[in-house]
Amino acid sequence: MRYLIKHGSIIDPAQRVATVGDVLIEDGKVVQIFDLAEMSPEQQAIGDNVEVINARGCVVAPGFTDLHTHLREPGEEHKETIATGTLAAARGGFTTICAMPNTNPPHDRAAVVRQVRQITRRDGHIRVDVIGAVTLGRAGGTLTEMAELVEAGCIAFSDDGSPVQDPVMMRNALAYASMLGVPIMSHCEDTRLNSGWAMHEGVVSTRLGLPGYPAAAEESQIARDIALAEMTGAHLHICHVSTAGGVALIRNARRRGVRVTAEVTPHHLTLTDQWVLGSLAEVETGEASAEPAKGGRRGRGKKSAQNHQGLGLRTWLDPRLLSPYDTRTRVSPPLRGEEDIEALLEGLRDGTIDAIATDHAPHSTVDKECEYGSAACGISGLETALGLVLTLVHRGEMDLVNVAAKLTEGPAQVLGRSPSTLHPGARADLVVFDPDIPWTVDVTTFASKGKNSPIHGQQLRGQVMLTMAGGVIVFRRDDFGKEVSSPRQASRLDGILTSEG
Amino acid sequence: MQPQPSVVASVMPEGERRRHLLDLDDVSRAEIDAVLETAESMKEVLSREIKQVPALRGKTVVNMFYEESTRTRISFELAARSLSANIINFAARSSSVEKGESLIDTVRTLQALGADILVIRHAQAGAAHLVARHFHGSVINAGDGRHAHPTQALLDLFTIREKLGYLDNLKVAIIGDILHSRVARSNLWGFTKMDAQVTLCAPPTLLGPARFWQATWPRVRITYSLEEALDGADVVMALRLQQERQQAGLLPSLREYSRFFALTEERLAQLADNVLIMHPGPINEGIEIAPEVVTSSRAVIGEQVTNGVAVRMALLYQLASQVTHEE
Repeated sequence: MRYLIKHGSIIDPAQRVATVGDVLIEDGKVVQIFDLAEMSPEQQAIGDNVEVINARGCVVAPGFTDLHTHLREPGEEHKETIATGTLAAARGGFTTICAMPNTNPPHDRAAVVRQVRQITRRDGHIRVDVIGAVTLGRAGGTLTEMAELVEAGCIAFSDDGSPVQDPVMMRNALAYASMLGVPIMSHCEDTRLNSGWAMHEGVVSTRLGLPGYPAAAEESQIARDIALAEMTGAHLHICHVSTAGGVALIRNARRRGVRVTAEVTPHHLTLTDQWVLGSLAEVETGEASAEPAKGGRRGRGKKSAQNHQGLGLRTWLDPRLLSPYDTRTRVSPPLRGEEDIEALLEGLRDGTIDAIATDHAPHSTVDKECEYGSAACGISGLETALGLVLTLVHRGEMDLVNVAAKLTEGPAQVLGRSPSTLHPGARADLVVFDPDIPWTVDVTTFASKGKNSPIHGQQLRGQVMLTMAGGVIVFRRDDFGKEVSSPRQASRLDGILTSEG
Repeated sequence: MQPQPSVVASVMPEGERRRHLLDLDDVSRAEIDAVLETAESMKEVLSREIKQVPALRGKTVVNMFYEESTRTRISFELAARSLSANIINFAARSSSVEKGESLIDTVRTLQALGADILVIRHAQAGAAHLVARHFHGSVINAGDGRHAHPTQALLDLFTIREKLGYLDNLKVAIIGDILHSRVARSNLWGFTKMDAQVTLCAPPTLLGPARFWQATWPRVRITYSLEEALDGADVVMALRLQQERQQAGLLPSLREYSRFFALTEERLAQLADNVLIMHPGPINEGIEIAPEVVTSSRAVIGEQVTNGVAVRMALLYQLASQVTHEE
């Protein structure tokens, strides 16, 4: 099958390309990119035997890679399966996802890894890479047979939500993994310092009387793991960093040359602990909002609001749509403060943080419909990841090319791979998204079985229209791209591409 | 006092009538005043020979106690009975909670059984909000984790008003395990609405950073010095110190805590004669408060308990009736 994706704004971070043009795909590979400015003879010679996808007004980028996905299969198929999880990923623009090992049984033996890969071949819509467990049963007691797990296909190791507490065990895990050339992905949390926690420790936890998870419980473990990585020379990857102090530790370590990489989630970049207050949240009001409906002031607070005055944006996120103590806001690590978001954004911009990863954690209703402190941690994030991070672009806090890089090139580098790209000859893993289209998050439309999203009902701008994996369309929104001429103009993108609003 | 059926309530626009009492954060000064005034009438009822009126006849109140409590449960039970409501008590240990029945499922069951008002006590903050989201009638928070205990704060205000004759511009010192205290949090809202100057006093391990409190309650003062907290106070409130705080390592010893933070005759000597000594109970005599202070003329701890019934009657009555209070 041949496809010609026409008139898209092509962003290929790996090639440092941002241009308007056409992409020709054949036999599962990118064949050629045509710059719209110059009509070449090859382009005229494409012929009729091709499906044209009209991508005018949309971005065409390499497919996204998610370093941190929970697929729940085997063991908790009522929460998610490889079939539903990979379809959700395709709907989110992802063409590769890395499956965390906290399944039942966990990815701690080669047989389980082979089974997961086998199910993926049968049910998967996109590529799934398997992260192995660091310790047997993720119990922190005995290292898994890491070499055999790598042989079976594991691309990294993590005990994720049950982080290795014993520093000796962590030292050994890092040292052993360094032999195999794969990273240890560390969910950094001192589980004694945050014992019994329900949310981020701060003003909101004090008001609501919920036991707190202090930033120091993450930071102290990041500091420990960096010291151990420095000592062993291993590649340490910090999962979902959420604190300003954590970003500073990683930045400092990278400057010293420690092999440490890091990821951040869309929700930690956009939502704060104010969301646990829900309708009780204090939302900035004041003189600046001449047109409240377009204010863009309801985002995260004062600072971001000031940044976006006068942009006329219609995208904001309003915690007051939720009730107080809404368990959909419960996630590990917890939603933090405004100053943490500022630091995370700075970390993304200056390269301290390599990747945006979803930590997609689907849960069933019963896991969430209970007392706040008893609720399962996690947000179903694959299908809203792009929309959430694009709010940062619309607010002028990130530029679109950088966001695309953190979803494509960045995670590939963490995995030690050559970056996903639209370069001719590359596997045709790509996404077409409209960066501007407004839509309202409706969890009932999720492909994921996990409907646990705190941003249900919020309006976002920017949505995936088509995802192609290996040259096969794995997701297409309605009849996207089938009409020959679209009223949408490529020029509408100009403002977004240059972050001028 | 002739309440009408509560069915009407659901068709009334939000804001015209309070449906739940989950905390005092969203309760106005006018509403508080209305409750305290109604409580005065209720107190008069309780002084009669026959301590009962038919105001809530035919209504069903369920006491859902997921955490041990004697005084609050009995207080609500007496309040409901004095208003002639049907009152059903259940404690977590004797209910289906042990079988893994979820809180929400229990609420749905009570809904189906025709309960009108749920009174919930629970060890986890936010439990009352959860119940309120799933119940069509009214919910009263009788204490949820560290979060809120609004009826305690209301009975404290009632007692202060009764004893001092006013509630404006009070100087209040709250001493003890603030961090884990729902009483402290609800009282902060209550006193703040009365423009009181509140001082919190505890060692840092039982308090947390001052800015965590001052962001929500900007006028609150924080001190580690009991002398400073007591200085000029009109009301002094000691909080119960649970012994497990020491076991958890938050305190070196109960002995040291008592030496520096207990209310003793000696320390209270500096205060005016009409200062009120309060305690939400149950009391650890000799730990946070000396026995002779408990029995001193300035202590109103017994009155707090007595007034609790009247205040809870007032609340039950107001939530069950259709009276809208003009502000």
